[in-house]
Amino acid sequence: MNDASRVIPAGGNPQDRHTETFSFTGRAGEYFGIWIVNILLTIVTLGIYSAWAKVRRQRYFYGNTELAGRSFDYHARGLQILIGRIVVLVALIIYAVLPYIFAYANMFVIYTVANLILPFLLLAAMPWLIKRGLRFNARVTSYRNVRLDFHGGYWGAFVAYLIGPFLATLTLGILAPLASRWMWRYTLGNVSYGGRKVACEPQLKALYSQWWMPALLVLLGVAPLTVLGLGLFGWASSGLATVNENTVTTAVFLVFLALMAIYGFAGLFYRAGVRNVAFNAAVFDGRHEFASRLGRRRYTWIAISNFLATIFSLGFARPWAAVRMARYVASATAVTVSGSLDDYLNEVEQTGPAIGAEYMDMEGFDFGL
Amino acid sequence: MGSDRPRLVISGQWHPPGSSRAEAARFTSADGVATAKGAEGGETLAEGAVSGLSVSNRVGRIPRRITFADGSVFETDDNDAIDRWLKAHRGWRVGFVHGLERFHPRLILLVAVVAVLCVGLYRYALPIAVEVAVAVTPPAAPRLMGQSALASLDQTVLAPSQLEGQRRQAITSDFRTLAELTPGGADAFDLQFRRGGVIGPNAFALPDGTIVLTDELVRLARDEDAVLGVLAHEIGHVVHKHSLRRLYRAAGITTLIMFIGGDIGSGMEEVLVQGAGLMTLSYSRDQESEADRYSVELMAKAGREPAGLARLFDVLRENYGDDDRNDFFSTHPTTPDRIEDIRRHAAEVGAR
Repeated sequence: MNDASRVIPAGGNPQDRHTETFSFTGRAGEYFGIWIVNILLTIVTLGIYSAWAKVRRQRYFYGNTELAGRSFDYHARGLQILIGRIVVLVALIIYAVLPYIFAYANMFVIYTVANLILPFLLLAAMPWLIKRGLRFNARVTSYRNVRLDFHGGYWGAFVAYLIGPFLATLTLGILAPLASRWMWRYTLGNVSYGGRKVACEPQLKALYSQWWMPALLVLLGVAPLTVLGLGLFGWASSGLATVNENTVTTAVFLVFLALMAIYGFAGLFYRAGVRNVAFNAAVFDGRHEFASRLGRRRYTWIAISNFLATIFSLGFARPWAAVRMARYVASATAVTVSGSLDDYLNEVEQTGPAIGAEYMDMEGFDFGL
Repeated sequence: MGSDRPRLVISGQWHPPGSSRAEAARFTSADGVATAKGAEGGETLAEGAVSGLSVSNRVGRIPRRITFADGSVFETDDNDAIDRWLKAHRGWRVGFVHGLERFHPRLILLVAVVAVLCVGLYRYALPIAVEVAVAVTPPAAPRLMGQSALASLDQTVLAPSQLEGQRRQAITSDFRTLAELTPGGADAFDLQFRRGGVIGPNAFALPDGTIVLTDELVRLARDEDAVLGVLAHEIGHVVHKHSLRRLYRAAGITTLIMFIGGDIGSGMEEVLVQGAGLMTLSYSRDQESEADRYSVELMAKAGREPAGLARLFDVLRENYGDDDRNDFFSTHPTTPDRIEDIRRHAAEVGAR
């Protein structure tokens, strides 16, 4: 206690500050075994094992992610995840079948109303499901025997996951940094550890500095390709085309692929930049500062080469790819600690309902951070 | 049980309940009682019956957690020592799953098994599952889908038919003679006339046997055999339960990708979903040619012009040509290949 309270707050004497870097110690060969057994047992048990497979996968990745010599841990249980999945599945089936039943029962008024209202109900439920999912993930995560917790509410998720993407799409990506700001403020800024909170306030100016490059890339790449695609399409349907239909279909498909590649490339670039900005703007307990130094080109290269390796190996290079990415991302993430981290952490105690309450939780929608 | 082999000491770290405070500690166990002691002082930090401990499963080399009844936790990297101790004191084997997962030449065999299973699932299990699902689908389900689909189409695109009553009656009675020749009989089908509006000259079958024919198509066709050829084609879709099959197949593929996939990466998942979409396109093209052949055979059986369907396609091409954008990706492309196939099959059927 004394040590922690003697520490000079952030921005104080630089001699008291040092950087602890995350590291990932997993190995491709080791994860390959876990991965292939997960798939095998999932097939053999007709999908039921997939819940336990998720637990083993997460435990492997969390358990190999280290900070200051200690690793994280993942505590969800297979049965818990299985039940959550069954609940979601049943709800989706009801959602899909309900309108048909109204129509069949000749209740066409209810049918029409249901068709209009149900999509909005699902949309309204989304933030709630996302919130639950994030909280579940936080509460089953521990570091040094203390669980994380998540405090985000419904409206925060509403803004971050519905309004943000909607605005970004509506403005053709011009407001994407605003959406990213909301998203990171919600997902990272609502995390706490032992009752001590993370604050995350990425500045719009910094986000836009990461935005213009990928935006330019899209502008330069997409405009000519769209013209080319539309031209091909028009030519094919004008009756002037003398080539056979398959050739044209292939050409249009190739243009589509190229478009996807440009969007994917720009998206990776943007994602890496935004993650750096968000982490660099995140502070734990008002004194320990997060830092992220992903190289945008390096990150994009790793993601794309991973993707290609996975495709050309018919999926079997995936464990290697996943470990490679986890290693890079961890090595580019750090915490600048003020004072002694060990002394500080020795004071951290589990608070609140995080433990135990997790059993009442549902996995909800799973979004990786 | 009671006999302790060489005294087991595992070193690691100990956390008090719900605290991130860590103390270097040693874990020992004797006579069914496990103890965590301070590494330096040797003071007892936690103690409890071995049967009351909860030990986390082994996954790779990640640290093991032993939780005492009081909630305090001993953590160690020494997985092998923990496994030896579990075996000696609780008669447990090393986890079966971890045994499989270990990096070992045996994994090559597992890879082969997974590859065979994946191909087998897609090639054989999926079609079989689709057949089983079609077989066990209660008749109420297609009726449900058909009625609600027609209801929503009526509210959105379709309008009541403006065809003369006489013409409608003539087509209906010819349609019934055709339908009479199917295994289900005429009552398994229901011909509905509608004005197509935006969908123009068109005909489609719903899974419950309802077949919708638009006024535009009837007006476009020069003779009755062309219209009947189209109706026979739609009857073929119903008899072969094509829409139900497509639905189940799409659901099956999505389930496969979601559950088997697990960790394949979001990019790869996207590729699989898109790929499955492309496969569905070729699947529905196969269904179209199956219905084409059915039309030819049914028309021949009814003593009508077997290539009636081709005649309608000719008219469609003349009137709309290649400049009809809807034709490009539509499910009823009036390609020369298709017309040729119909004519060839009609000649074969006629020669028999």
